[in-house]
Amino acid sequence: MPVGKRGSSLVRSPQFSSLIILIVLLAVFAIADANFLSPLNISNMMAFLPELGIIALGMTLLLTAGEFDLSVGAVFGLAPVVVMLLVQNGEASIGVALLAGLILCVAIGAINGVIVTKIGISSFLVTLSMLLVVRGAALYITQGFPLKSWDQPGFFVTLLAGSFNIGSFRFYTSLWWFVGLSLLAIYILRYAKLGNWISAIGSNRNAAVARGVPADAVKICLFILTSVLAGLAGMISAFRISAASPVAGTGYELEVIAMVVVGGTALTGGRGTILGTIVGALMLRSIRNGIVLIGVPGLAYNIFVGVIILAMLILHALLQKNAARG
Amino acid sequence: MVQEVLRLQNLQKSFGSVRALKNASFTLGEGEVVALLGDNGAGKSTLIKAISGVFPVDRGDIYVRGQKVSIRSTRDAMDLGIETIHQDTSLAPDLSIARNLFLGREPVNLKWLGVFAPLDLAKLRDAASALLKRVGISKKLDADALVSTLSGGERQSIAISRAMQFAAKVIILDEPTNNLGVEETHGVLRFVKEVRAAGHSVLLITHNIHHVFQVADRIIVMRRGEIVAEQTVADTDLLTVESIITGADMSALLKETRAK
Repeated sequence: MPVGKRGSSLVRSPQFSSLIILIVLLAVFAIADANFLSPLNISNMMAFLPELGIIALGMTLLLTAGEFDLSVGAVFGLAPVVVMLLVQNGEASIGVALLAGLILCVAIGAINGVIVTKIGISSFLVTLSMLLVVRGAALYITQGFPLKSWDQPGFFVTLLAGSFNIGSFRFYTSLWWFVGLSLLAIYILRYAKLGNWISAIGSNRNAAVARGVPADAVKICLFILTSVLAGLAGMISAFRISAASPVAGTGYELEVIAMVVVGGTALTGGRGTILGTIVGALMLRSIRNGIVLIGVPGLAYNIFVGVIILAMLILHALLQKNAARG
Repeated sequence: MVQEVLRLQNLQKSFGSVRALKNASFTLGEGEVVALLGDNGAGKSTLIKAISGVFPVDRGDIYVRGQKVSIRSTRDAMDLGIETIHQDTSLAPDLSIARNLFLGREPVNLKWLGVFAPLDLAKLRDAASALLKRVGISKKLDADALVSTLSGGERQSIAISRAMQFAAKVIILDEPTNNLGVEETHGVLRFVKEVRAAGHSVLLITHNIHHVFQVADRIIVMRRGEIVAEQTVADTDLLTVESIITGADMSALLKETRAK
């Protein structure tokens, strides 16, 4: 009996309905255009997917704890810019520069987290301001010009943006980063003690605090994690295209939050699903890719993306209502 | 008298110029249910928060089983065996019953991994089921059910059983029957009696005097940050207590109290 029960709850779970829709979408695109499932196109999608997907993993944990971060797109832009400036000015070797970039991300996340938890300003306002500060910093230190990125082969380039072929598919090492980080995030949220705390904090912070859960420390760590993942994703992207632009990642914050909530994570906290986020990331990526292939005019992309996100959210809301009634 | 479990001596607490707690002293005995009554702003919640470690007192001492203790955090209070159940805020609705029961004290494997240690899910579920069975609510509830699917009374029962689970010496119930239906309220009150029968002491904070007379052994009344009366339930009645709370006719009652 428990198996059957759990089976039906899986079918009714938000990540499952997202998965069904993803499959339908993929089928529609595949039927509409044969190139959609070609090795080249799949390789292309898989190159872009991890860069937003990695940020979405951090955002899922943060949203589950009841907070979110609008500064991720700006951090995505600033981190590689700082790395490249340090290298180009001869102030650091590439390894040291990457480390410095990540430490900067730690600092940005820590400032977000401390202001949100200790001063008690909503994460919307704090991270919106941080978005402006970080983006402004990236523009100012580069004077608005993109930097030529590190294009000499080496350990770090291979580590972040190396590529390899499987048959006629070409994959980047970033896919491994995404897979590895996804597994880690699933483990933390579902099986680790920390995941229990994260869900409890987002579900009812006072209850968690009353049980001795260090809610503020957990939230600050999640802000740091999200920021670091955004910086890492920015570095991966910069290495892949061999350029660090101060405007890279503009608008990514909303795209990432869309991935997360489309996957079934509650914007209000308490309920998070990494599997759903992976489905959400795949969905948004394939929509962006698919509507180009089936010939939707370029300027109309966002209409489709917006409508599909809205449809997903309505579906989740209806499922939620049904579950509450049942 | 029964053995003393918790003793408060001259507790004082101010917030700026507001003296929320002027001078509170009382004793809680083993297996005793004491009701703390008072109007809004009487200092009940300040007193509770001081005992449960939400904030430290400015002055005064707290003794647990005769030992002077210092309570600086909710964790300290829990470690001393003082469990507080706040109205509506004790459980995380999106977590299962089992996960709620062990929140903050999760059984884990590979303990050296710290917060990254994996939950011992089998132990979690078994312990939760055993607990639900012990407190007599296993028939209806599955340890894996989400708390959001439970009724208000069931949630209170879960929160109280959690306090019992950790062998709490003192269980503080903050308005446990607020927002509950008649039947659920009776369920919770019955549960309070079971808690006492199991040897735990209960400090019950409520607005509802009728409930007090059903379960409490002793009544303490607070007004403006002070304890103004302390009586055993057998020695008083509803109207008397009501008039003490509102301060309608204090003099005669205070005399009576002091005479004891």
